[in-house]
Amino acid sequence: MKKTVQVNLSGQVFTIDDDAYDLLSVYLQKISRLYERSAGKDEILSDIESRIAELLLERVSDDRSVVTIKDVQEVTEIMGNPEQFEEDTMEEETAGSGYSSREYQGQKRLFRDPDSPMIGGVCSGIGYYFGIDPLWIRLAFAIALIFFGTGVLFYILLWIIIPEAKTTADKLAMRGEPVNIGSIGKSVEDELNNLGQRFSKGGQQFTSGAGTTISRGIDKFFNFMAELFRGFFYSPR
Amino acid sequence: MNIENSKAQLRKGILEFCVLALLKEEEAYPSDLLQSLKDAELIVVEGTLYPLLNRLKNSGLLTYRWEESKSGPPRKYYSLTETGKTFYNELATSWVELRNAVDKVIKENQSTKET
Repeated sequence: MKKTVQVNLSGQVFTIDDDAYDLLSVYLQKISRLYERSAGKDEILSDIESRIAELLLERVSDDRSVVTIKDVQEVTEIMGNPEQFEEDTMEEETAGSGYSSREYQGQKRLFRDPDSPMIGGVCSGIGYYFGIDPLWIRLAFAIALIFFGTGVLFYILLWIIIPEAKTTADKLAMRGEPVNIGSIGKSVEDELNNLGQRFSKGGQQFTSGAGTTISRGIDKFFNFMAELFRGFFYSPR
Repeated sequence: MNIENSKAQLRKGILEFCVLALLKEEEAYPSDLLQSLKDAELIVVEGTLYPLLNRLKNSGLLTYRWEESKSGPPRKYYSLTETGKTFYNELATSWVELRNAVDKVIKENQSTKET
C-alpha cells in the first residue's frame, strides 16, 4: 500500500505515488537551482515540466492511472542529469557565444590561500570569502592576541580546519569565480604573468604568448616553476 | 583523450546550427525537434534542448506561438525570426566552407600516404 498525491504539471493533473513525487520534486529542484541566476529560469523550468508531463502521459492509461517511481526514473533518464546539460551550456558559453543572456556564478568556498599568506593563509582565505581586505582580518586576530590571548589558538584551529586551496579549481572557488575551461585557462595565465613579474628582467620572454600557443606540457612545467619560485620570492599583499 | 568527450565537443558546436536548420522550413515544437536530433544522434539527453531553445529565443533568433493539444499540455511551436534566418544563412555558408576545408585536409592527407 502506498500513499499517493496529486500534482499539476503544465495543467495536467497526475496521481502520483508518494516516493515518485519525492524523486520528481528533487529532480525539478535540481534544475531550478542550476538556473537560479538565469533570466530564463522560469521558462526553462516550465518547458521541461511540460515535456515531463508529456512523457508521463505516455506512461499512464485508464487501467494504470497512478504514476510510479519507475515511471519517474525512466522519464528523468530520458531528460538527463541536470549537471549534464549544465556542462553543455557552460562549454558553449566559453566557446564565445556572445549573445548568451545567462550568467553563471561559481559557488564560493572557504580555503586557505597559499598564494599570499602571512603565516598559513587563513586570513587571506577568509578575506576572499567575505570579499574584504585580509588586512582587517589580520588586525582582528592581532587585537584578539593582545587583549585576550586567544588569537593564536583560534588561528591554529582554523589553520587545521580550513583546507588549503591546492588546485586551480580550488582557488577559483575560493575567489568565488566560476570553474570552467575559460576561467581555469585565465587563472593559469595569471599565474604565468605573476611568474614573469617575479623574474622581472630575465623572465619577460617566458610570458609573451604564454597561455595562447604553448602546449599543455609546457604549461605544467611553468606552473611547477611558479610554485618553486613562489617559495623564494612571494610577497604578502 | 576520451573519445566520447571529443565526440560530444564536436556535436555541441553544431547543435545550435542544426536546431536552426530544422526550423528553417517549418515551425516545430520541441518534441518534434527532439525526435530528429535523437535520430541524428546529435543529442543524448532531452534536457539539453530546453536551455538551448531558451537562449536562442532570448537572443532574438527564435520566436514561438502556443497551440493547444488534445493529448497533453499546450505546445510551443518555434520558428525562425528574420534575424534568425539571416543568422542561419551565415552559419550555413561557413558550414559548407568548413566542411569542404575539412574534407580537403583529410583527402590530401590520405593521398600523400597512398603515394
